[in-house]
Amino acid sequence: MTLGGFILKNALRNKRRALLSVLSVAVSLFLFITLQVALRELTQPPEDLGSSLRIIVRNRVSLVSPLPARQLQVIEKIPGIVAVTPFTFFGGLYKGDERFTSFAQFAVDPVRVKDVIIDAKVDDTEYASWVADRTLCIVGLDTARRYNLKRGDRMQFTGTFFPCDLDLRVAGFYHGTADDRTVFFHQRYLDEALGNPGTVGCWWARAASPEDAALVTARIDQAFANSSAEVRAETERAFQLGFISMWANIKVLIGSICTVVVFTLLLVTVSTMSMAIRERFRELAVLKALGFRRRELLGFILAESFGLSMLGAVLGAGGAWLLYRNLDIQKLANGVFLAFEVTPRMMGMAFAIAALLGIFSAIGPAFSVARTSVVEGLRTLD
Amino acid sequence: MRRISTASLMSLHIVPIVFIRDLSKLYRQGDINIAALHDVSLDIASGEFIVLMGPSGSGKSTLLHIIAGIDRPTHGSCRVQDTDVARLNESQLADWRNRNVGFVFQSFNLIPVLTAFENVELPLLLTGLNASRRRQQVTTALNLVGLGDRQDHLPRQLSGGQEQRVAIARALVTDPPLIVADEPTGNLDAKSATDVLEILRNLSQQAGKTVIMVTHDPKAAAYGTRQLHLEKGEIVV
Ligand SMILES: Nc1ncnc2c1ncn2[C@@H]1O[C@H](COP(=O)(O)OP(=O)(O)O)[C@@H](O)[C@H]1O
Ligand SMILES: [Mg+2]
Repeated sequence: MTLGGFILKNALRNKRRALLSVLSVAVSLFLFITLQVALRELTQPPEDLGSSLRIIVRNRVSLVSPLPARQLQVIEKIPGIVAVTPFTFFGGLYKGDERFTSFAQFAVDPVRVKDVIIDAKVDDTEYASWVADRTLCIVGLDTARRYNLKRGDRMQFTGTFFPCDLDLRVAGFYHGTADDRTVFFHQRYLDEALGNPGTVGCWWARAASPEDAALVTARIDQAFANSSAEVRAETERAFQLGFISMWANIKVLIGSICTVVVFTLLLVTVSTMSMAIRERFRELAVLKALGFRRRELLGFILAESFGLSMLGAVLGAGGAWLLYRNLDIQKLANGVFLAFEVTPRMMGMAFAIAALLGIFSAIGPAFSVARTSVVEGLRTLD
Repeated sequence: MRRISTASLMSLHIVPIVFIRDLSKLYRQGDINIAALHDVSLDIASGEFIVLMGPSGSGKSTLLHIIAGIDRPTHGSCRVQDTDVARLNESQLADWRNRNVGFVFQSFNLIPVLTAFENVELPLLLTGLNASRRRQQVTTALNLVGLGDRQDHLPRQLSGGQEQRVAIARALVTDPPLIVADEPTGNLDAKSATDVLEILRNLSQQAGKTVIMVTHDPKAAAYGTRQLHLEKGEIVV
């Protein structure tokens, strides 16, 4: 037998209790990691150059109020603007979807959009055929894969927001953006289906440089001030952050849940560990009599509680890491999360919490063992 | 004159192992001091089998604990083999106990999750002996108490008498000069008690160990080479 073997036998002497304390650490750290990942994914959209160049122009009244199509000529001429396209959210239901379709459909100007969404990569022939036929659409590669779509396939959408349906065919696919799920089709198709109302949902424009963007948004706002359709222009990044600020309360909520989880875990582990040691007080006194020193007993206790909580961390945090790596979160969360990534920092935090738990729960018992003399310890009844 | 053992008289003067002078142990109880031991002086020779008797609360365990280095006196000195035990600090004392004292308790005090072999091996883990030397010593100790065939049994798979013999093997595995036993037969039936007492006697007679045993049982006391009676913290002749 080695000292390590002795520690192991002690840790496993009450197998059910050892299992329960490992599991409580594991489950709590799994929850902790899940919450941390959710928090990060909700508050940190993928940052790319495009999102600080792109400018979203919407109706000042609300996101759903349309804008007059004639604004195009004005925006186009504003200095610092490179390109601009209508960008109308259709929000239809695809195929069997009854209440919600997880990918968006936007009506755009197929020629102009190429200079606005510059990160999208499309095959030249596919692009050319899309531009030539207003009943065709370009589909994000993720959506194409998910529904196993091929060129020429039909895509039908039932309108929910607009009083018309779409009947499109796939011209080709794009990829390379932060979110390769959207379906793009012709604004003119939508105009015709609606009887040419002369409106669009929003404008998407591209500024020449990120430095220009702030100035350009101010110019756009100004251009339509005091008109019948005042607008609000902001960079895509600012637009995303605006949504995220709605999540601020959620952030506080998740933060407090995490704190409570960790604190409860601390209480549970500390009391389990002190129970485990109190039961063994007499044996520890015997070990002292046999010549084991305080620091060796402290080592035993620490190794035991540290070992149990670290095992919990390996199961809980490691399990979360493995699970979220192999999980198709887009499908599972209906597209709310594009990714669900466990970062090294979160793993580090989980293991640090486990280490602290191990140390904290050893302190109390170790202290009382050190303070108790052999004679006192021997006198305690089993 | 024939009542006095010549052997123990001689050894007392030749190889003394425990010197106790004016030893007192006081416990404070509110405003008054209770003397568990009061000015005890005593010499024990190497190889003696000392039996401590006396009524409950007379200070037998306290005396045993001080000699064995798990308790400290309030006054006086206790030297074991030229070591003033009271002067050692905690960790020196632990080390000293490991090398010099073997403990046998009334309630055996084996570690329940360890086999007989592992229980006996426990004190050797502090010695730096390699695994094969440890195995050799543990086997020898278990054979000595007649349990060579029970190495892999857990304490709960052994009878009380066998458990106590494992405890004795654990006490002698480091080959300490001093073995202390506090009512070792208190929880045993007559047959097992005899086995244990014979082993202790052999340890003193054949292996030259100094054995100090506390007991209430006059039959057990008869195994010793010298009986000491304690009353109210003092040795009475
Ligand atoms: N921790 C303690 N606090 C107060 N009194 C104690 C303590 N330990 C022992 N005593 C007292 O010391 C005396 C001797 O105790 P002990 O040596 O255990 O007696 P014995 O072993 O002969 O029965 C008893 O009166 C006991 O009550
Ligand atoms: Mg006693």
